[in-house]
Amino acid sequence: MSITAEMIAAFADGELEDAERAVVEAALAADPALGRKIAAHRALKDRLTSHYAPIAEATVPTHLAALLDSSREPANASKVVSFAAARQKRGLAPMVRRWAPVAGPALAASLILAIWQPWQARTPEGYAGGDLATALETQLAAAQPADAPTRILISFVREGGGLCRAYRSGETGGIACRDTTGWKIERRFELQGPDKGQFRQAGSEAELLTAAQDMAAGEAFDAEAERAAKAQGWAN
Amino acid sequence: MSQSFEKHVLDLLPRLRRFAIGLAGSAADGDDLCQMTIERALARRQQWQEGTRLDSWMYRIMRNIFIDEGRATTRRRETFVDEDAGLSVGGDGGQEATVELSMVDRAMARLPEEQREAVLLVMVEGWSYKEAAAIVGCPVGTLNSRLVRGRDALLAILEDVQ
Repeated sequence: MSITAEMIAAFADGELEDAERAVVEAALAADPALGRKIAAHRALKDRLTSHYAPIAEATVPTHLAALLDSSREPANASKVVSFAAARQKRGLAPMVRRWAPVAGPALAASLILAIWQPWQARTPEGYAGGDLATALETQLAAAQPADAPTRILISFVREGGGLCRAYRSGETGGIACRDTTGWKIERRFELQGPDKGQFRQAGSEAELLTAAQDMAAGEAFDAEAERAAKAQGWAN
Repeated sequence: MSQSFEKHVLDLLPRLRRFAIGLAGSAADGDDLCQMTIERALARRQQWQEGTRLDSWMYRIMRNIFIDEGRATTRRRETFVDEDAGLSVGGDGGQEATVELSMVDRAMARLPEEQREAVLLVMVEGWSYKEAAAIVGCPVGTLNSRLVRGRDALLAILEDVQ
């Protein structure tokens, strides 16, 4: 086997397979020039390594590190608006993609990242709008405030595909499923308040959950699956 | 995991920056390349599969941006490379060290992009041939031959000078 330039370099880098390495090693004993070539390759590697090493040891410029500071607003397109301002826009159902990555809890409560789309100018019949749409779009059952006006109970994939979430807002609740238009309300429930026994006709949260279970193709999401689904924009 | 994506990328940034500056040939262009890489990685974070290596994924994004979008920058740099006394991108030291270091930069700048990236990935960034080939998206044999041509050219250029 003749020894190619590729083999010499690969030998110097410790990348040769056993058989080829044995060939080079055998030739090395007989040919001092080969040894010098290999030494030159290794010296070049050392020289390049030490030449570029200080870059990796230097402090990263702040403007680059800032791009990865999750407590700041991302530099790209999305628009941060105040939650209050969003609600003032009558008739608009804010499509809240995700919480703005903000540092303080007070800010987290008042700032949202909102992206409006044409269909949101008016909530179509049968679809969730306003605060309910916001809650469905943004809240994670695993991480929502205990006193959230709308609480997400569970999220799941329905038979035949599509992502659905069961929710409760005070004495009403329901199941909404995401389609390309928005959150379509599939089921509505009048629910018994925890301390309002007089509403005898009202159902319980358990009935709502049973209905959800009947619709679901599998298990309800755990916290991680829910987070992943949200990150994908609830597309299924 | 997804919440600490930024943190993972931040931890990789010193290495990514070394690769970027090596590819682009100057700190300013390298940092621009870094910024584009971070922005694209954040925009495409869904495409990264957890459990796979984030570092090779980031390197791949960076080299693709460099190849796709860095050509204008590269041309500009090559035009001025011989006149530019302040080209050194490596560490500074004494006067002698600065002169020596800038020779490496000049030699690297003369390599075709595909040889330069092969040299950087293997000899500076420490990737195996197989890993480097995966980052570049070419067969290992191709990577190997680019690497050899690149390093032979470097040896010749640097030998001339010494």
